[in-house]
Amino acid sequence: MNLVPVTYKGGIYRHDVIVDLIEDLGGYIIQKHVIAQEVVLQALVPREDIDLIARIGKPLTGEITPSPLVGTEIAVVTMSLEIHHLPHASCDVAEYIRRFGAKTNMVGLARGFGKRIAQLNDEERDVINEHDLAVFLLGNFETCIEQKFPVLRRGIHVPIIVLGGPSTETLKRIIDPPVDGYVGNVGRFMHRTKESEELDKLEEVADEITRVLDAQRDEIAKDPPSVSPARLMDVINDQLDDIHEVLSPTPITVQMTGLRVKLPYDRYAGVLKELAIEGKVTIGDVADILPSRMRDYILVRIKPFSETNIMV
Amino acid sequence: MEAIEYFEVECPEETGRNYYRRIADVVLLDHNLLRVIQKLHISIDPRVPLFIAVGITRKLPGVIRVRDFANVNTQDQKTTISIADETYLAPFLKILWERFGGDRVLQPDRFTIILSIAAADAEGIEDIPVIDPSESLYKDLIYALQVIQPEGFKVRRQYYGRGRFYLVASEDTLPEDIEDLVREKFALMGEQL
Repeated sequence: MNLVPVTYKGGIYRHDVIVDLIEDLGGYIIQKHVIAQEVVLQALVPREDIDLIARIGKPLTGEITPSPLVGTEIAVVTMSLEIHHLPHASCDVAEYIRRFGAKTNMVGLARGFGKRIAQLNDEERDVINEHDLAVFLLGNFETCIEQKFPVLRRGIHVPIIVLGGPSTETLKRIIDPPVDGYVGNVGRFMHRTKESEELDKLEEVADEITRVLDAQRDEIAKDPPSVSPARLMDVINDQLDDIHEVLSPTPITVQMTGLRVKLPYDRYAGVLKELAIEGKVTIGDVADILPSRMRDYILVRIKPFSETNIMV
Repeated sequence: MEAIEYFEVECPEETGRNYYRRIADVVLLDHNLLRVIQKLHISIDPRVPLFIAVGITRKLPGVIRVRDFANVNTQDQKTTISIADETYLAPFLKILWERFGGDRVLQPDRFTIILSIAAADAEGIEDIPVIDPSESLYKDLIYALQVIQPEGFKVRRQYYGRGRFYLVASEDTLPEDIEDLVREKFALMGEQL
């Protein structure tokens, strides 16, 4: 069954019909927002059933759109959390890619600014490495980017997309070794992105992220994870009652090959390890349960099939 | 930026120059400083790195006195002040409390103040200076320039006086001949420090 990421938007009235339908079809609901009279579902659904969901959702004023980034967690790395970079452009970018279904976290570096003095500490490095992809928002001067970027990327092994003031070609020229994606002409600015050409630029950022993640998905498909992260989320939701007490918007964040479970590691790591997925196969058999560097959360990294020889 | 007579951004990188021109424009507009600045020259060299902003301000609005925003009406033992513009009410009340004591200053509604004082004491109330707008302007101006400058330029020198101002910043120690550089930038605008 080929699951595709989609967003369903519709009225709140009888939206449980859609929720049940998606679950019955074998899809997974990654996130559910209820905003006043509207409900937004981010879900993975079987490709062949999209029309069916659209047909049933129509009388409920629902519409279904493809969201290529559902089920990914993206780090938007900004050089600092000062007014120079916030809320524009960092928040604009983070917010825009959220519309495509991604769960974005903003990572504000403690000392990311400056040409000579920029640095990345171990906590920042580890937090960035817990994501599926990192978007680096750099400044306007190529001299600075050329000198500081090698420092900022040190130790980061997730795909990187670089955003900066100089043109895409210039970024490609000055960054060595190359990174996975580049979008030029998105540097430091102090105004809100609302003109059409600026929105086109953000669209370009989303396209670049989609391109890089699609390539990543193809790579993962060659040796798929032993269990789908969305399914694992369902298992935890069903069996671990305490997860429903968590007040975060996403108590379980789905990544491409893992999950972030927002429960304290010390108390829940053991419990999580023992949960049965199917028959005698437990989560501990197919995944590593690790402490996250983000608060005291749990990071579940699903092992690939080649390592476990289990596929559930 | 029609309000500014002279506005230039100088930078060896063209993209960076265009970006910083826009940034300066937006920041000064957001901080309501466009009307205050007459000339502004910004020079950024990321290779050094060095940020220099020099400029001159317009003639500033004078001190705000009570007569600018209120009417004073004195009778025997009672002086009534009707407020036309609330903007300066808070600092004005503070002055009245200090001068006459809180129990003699009554404020029956937002726009009326009644003072229980002798007519002789009420003389000159209209001329009390309430606020000097130029006081906070220096702070606002330097703050805005700090927002414009590239982040991380923590070594700074700033100056303001006789309608002229400058801010020099870098992430390294500032060069010794910094005053000469500033003078050069002023000369580009046809002015002197």
